Amino acid sequence: MAETDEMLMLAVRSGDVAKLGILFNRHSRALFEFFARLTRSRSLAEDLVQDVFVRMLKYRETFRTESRFKAWMYQIARNARFDHYKKHEIENPFPEGGTENLESRSPFPVDHLEHQQQTQLLECALYKLPSEKREVLILSRYQDLKYEQIAEIMGCEVGAIKVRVHRALKDLREIFMRLSNERLPCNVKKPENNLRIM
Amino acid sequence: MQCEEAREQLTDYVTNSVEEPLAPALAQHLTKCEACRSETEELKALWTGLGALPTAQPSSELQVRFDSMLAAYRDGLDHARTRSWWHSANSWFGALWPRQPVLQFGFAIAFLVLGVLAGYQVRSVRSVRSVPPASGNQVNNEIANLRDELFQTRQMVALALMQQESASDRIQGVNWSYQLQKPGTEVLTALLETLMHDPNVNVRLATVDALRQFGDQPIVRRGVVDAMARQQSPMVQIALIDLAVDLHEKESIDTLRQLTEDQTINTAVRERAQQGISKLE
Repeated sequence: MAETDEMLMLAVRSGDVAKLGILFNRHSRALFEFFARLTRSRSLAEDLVQDVFVRMLKYRETFRTESRFKAWMYQIARNARFDHYKKHEIENPFPEGGTENLESRSPFPVDHLEHQQQTQLLECALYKLPSEKREVLILSRYQDLKYEQIAEIMGCEVGAIKVRVHRALKDLREIFMRLSNERLPCNVKKPENNLRIM
Repeated sequence: MQCEEAREQLTDYVTNSVEEPLAPALAQHLTKCEACRSETEELKALWTGLGALPTAQPSSELQVRFDSMLAAYRDGLDHARTRSWWHSANSWFGALWPRQPVLQFGFAIAFLVLGVLAGYQVRSVRSVRSVPPASGNQVNNEIANLRDELFQTRQMVALALMQQESASDRIQGVNWSYQLQKPGTEVLTALLETLMHDPNVNVRLATVDALRQFGDQPIVRRGVVDAMARQQSPMVQIALIDLAVDLHEKESIDTLRQLTEDQTINTAVRERAQQGISKLE
């Protein structure tokens, strides 16, 4: 039976730091995606992933036997991102008013033009959400986390997370509808280095 | 279930997070309520659409950076283990030191006072033994050495000058001997040599004056008497007679008599010699 994340991290804590390599293989991709969706910058997302694993080594003593690895990891991830913006004094890394060209980034064939446009609009809408709402949506939609886990990561009640996801989804729908009606070009800033899309 | 309550649960429904007791009632409401059903469809489409958004891929550099970071960290740990004895000793001493700042401050003051007291103690013991400070001795020795070196230099300068071809240089050399309180035999011999053999009268006269200060030296007294007999210059002879008289050199009486009896010698010299004899006798 494969070792659980918690067993691996406890081994790292007791000095077997090589085990961190297994944890990296398991979670670096999801972490990268989390940061990439939040920051829309591949280089920054990679920097932050590296920072998270450095912090895991540095603060490995804080991982307790009863800790859940994923929650602990995302707590570190949120702190790393917070510290990064604090250090660089950027409130919102993607202020409105930029432009973005999503051509050639869509996973859909060209003949699905309508679908492609819908996807573009939805992506625009997501990045027009305030970052705290975007974060909770990303955690619940992409990171395969239950409300209970998100509540643990964010340090609040499950009920509060429910409300946040609810509001975030409603806001997203509103922005999406507005963009659909306006049919305006997306006003999301282009990331500084092009994201390679699956 | 009413619409208001149902709408609060719609997001949970879409995200598959509806709490178990509420699920049947919500499902029932949705079959009845067209508005709630349509909103559910919209939210579901949105949620599905989010899942279909493009995903970024990390570059291969991410793995490389992680591997090198981990390797560096492991190297650091290995290195730290080899130093662990030092750390354990350090932490043992560190554990002895109090954590509270007030206690730390108190300890620091106590050690300072102890140090000052110990310093006074050592000093008083030393003064009882009346041991002169080592540094004082050292300074005295250095001063003595310097004096000795200065003296040697002056002697060398005097001797060197007395060998010069220029008469004025030789006079300067003779005058240098004034700066030597207790000149060595070497210098005195040189002075007497000059007195005997220097071709220049002025140099020989200066030498007579210089020798006056060393009149208590036997070698000088003997030299003066010897030179008196051999000098050809009346001025130098008179200077020598005066010197011998001033030094109360009784052994010069014989020489003086020979001078008075020698008819070839200058009259003024013979008279001076006669006066000298009468003063010395």
